[in-house]
Amino acid sequence: MGYEELFPKNDLSGWHANAAKRFASPFVDNFHDRIDVDPIILSNAAVNCGFTIRDFYEKPELGIHCVGYISELYDLLPVTHWFFSLPWVRDLGMTLEYKDTLPPIPTGPILDANGVEKMQPISKADLLTGSTVPLFYDLYGYVQQNLGHTLVPISYGFDLVGAAAEMIGVEEFIMWTFTETDLAHKLVDTYVETSINGAEAMADKFGFAMLIVGSVLANNDIFADEQVEEFSAKKMGYYVDQCFRRGAGPQVFYHLCGNHETDYKVFKKNLLWSPFNVLHIGYQGPKVFPSDLLKKEFQDVTTLMGSVDTKLMINPNPAKVYDQAKESLLAGRDAKKGFILGTSCETPPYTIPGNLLALTRAARDFGTYGTW
Amino acid sequence: MAEYLISDEVAKTIESRGLKVDDIKKVIEAAEAAKDKITNGSKCIAKKTLGDVVVYADYSAEGGKIRINSGYAHKMKLQDIVMDTADTEWKYVKTGAKIRKGHTNLSYMGATRSAPSLVDPASGESWIEEYLAAKTLAVAEMLFSQKRA
Repeated sequence: MGYEELFPKNDLSGWHANAAKRFASPFVDNFHDRIDVDPIILSNAAVNCGFTIRDFYEKPELGIHCVGYISELYDLLPVTHWFFSLPWVRDLGMTLEYKDTLPPIPTGPILDANGVEKMQPISKADLLTGSTVPLFYDLYGYVQQNLGHTLVPISYGFDLVGAAAEMIGVEEFIMWTFTETDLAHKLVDTYVETSINGAEAMADKFGFAMLIVGSVLANNDIFADEQVEEFSAKKMGYYVDQCFRRGAGPQVFYHLCGNHETDYKVFKKNLLWSPFNVLHIGYQGPKVFPSDLLKKEFQDVTTLMGSVDTKLMINPNPAKVYDQAKESLLAGRDAKKGFILGTSCETPPYTIPGNLLALTRAARDFGTYGTW
Repeated sequence: MAEYLISDEVAKTIESRGLKVDDIKKVIEAAEAAKDKITNGSKCIAKKTLGDVVVYADYSAEGGKIRINSGYAHKMKLQDIVMDTADTEWKYVKTGAKIRKGHTNLSYMGATRSAPSLVDPASGESWIEEYLAAKTLAVAEMLFSQKRA
């Protein structure tokens, strides 16, 4: 029995048709219904369908079907995604271990300076027979066959700095940014070039490939603005430019996770802004990144995604979620190139359903086009 | 009348993009007459709106003749420059201005969105490079059509 037999079909003519029109709204100024809600739902979808966090990551087809199915319950996006934060590291020699309560974690081998000096980007040909490309080819093959209405092929560069850092150990990497700067750059560059080759492989297969790339480890809790710019923003811009040259894009989701208190200023000039991009910034210090600042700084180049604190999503207090969603919507909903309501990162696996309802309720109350 | 050189492969690529080689020659002739082109010293890029599309010619001088290196187009209309971020090797022949990397607003089917471009902030002129027009913007135009439907 395939996973598709576990799920009733989505309501295509009702829910999905409306959600698809709404999803297009912020990108093409064809305003429909209300501001969209994207709580970056991952293993929470599996949990909501009675499976485990481990199931979500270990069985990608099951995981993505859960996302497609459960999105209807909360009236979320009409498209599916499935990912974890460490694509391409297996192709570069690391092993990953699946866990019951976490996404897969790396178990080594940890490289030393000599190992990094010898590192080479993995070619597209080698990626085709490696781990990540076959995984996503199979996954999107499944989606094409069983959830075609939700298909958006995606290539994940994801956290270019953070994933590279795992290969020598995160603490060691942070030290290297001061003591072995050239090697730290070489390590990240090798990961970036491998990710670009992977994006090309995805674009070859599907004709295009949305890009998801972020700055997660590179944030103001760890690095100064200058380091975030050199190690993350510039490399993200390079990654997207090279992916565009190889046929990937034009959709880009820029995910700045964690605290970007002041380093948000280094991204605008270094990133590539395509006609279809979304920028999401999680936090400014300990608080969610304010949507009015997001709008002021970035509305002329991109669609914006505002944030409700993910910590609130597991707090049994839907009114708090609703109030913060309201604040974000009121500040961001009239952004020049569109606005989406999100959470500051992936909604937690055990997010309380009432809190997800609070997000969409707020979007209906304060994000309906034509009412402001 | 200039004499043109063009390989079969380039002619085929131009035609596969729904353009005619004669369109590219029109762009070059207009650019040469008005010096309205950018150059990096070894080749030139010129643009001209033909009907509903902005057509580009990528060409260079070769022994008194003009070698057509490529031709491409986009349907999105060039609007204002959103920002400029860094110098490039390109120069605007008409004014001598240094061309900068930047982003330009493009409008299509009622929506305005930005895209990477080469820009001259002084004149307000923008040029889209081939890889962006032929790949990124081509898919974007298709998505606009689908999503506006």
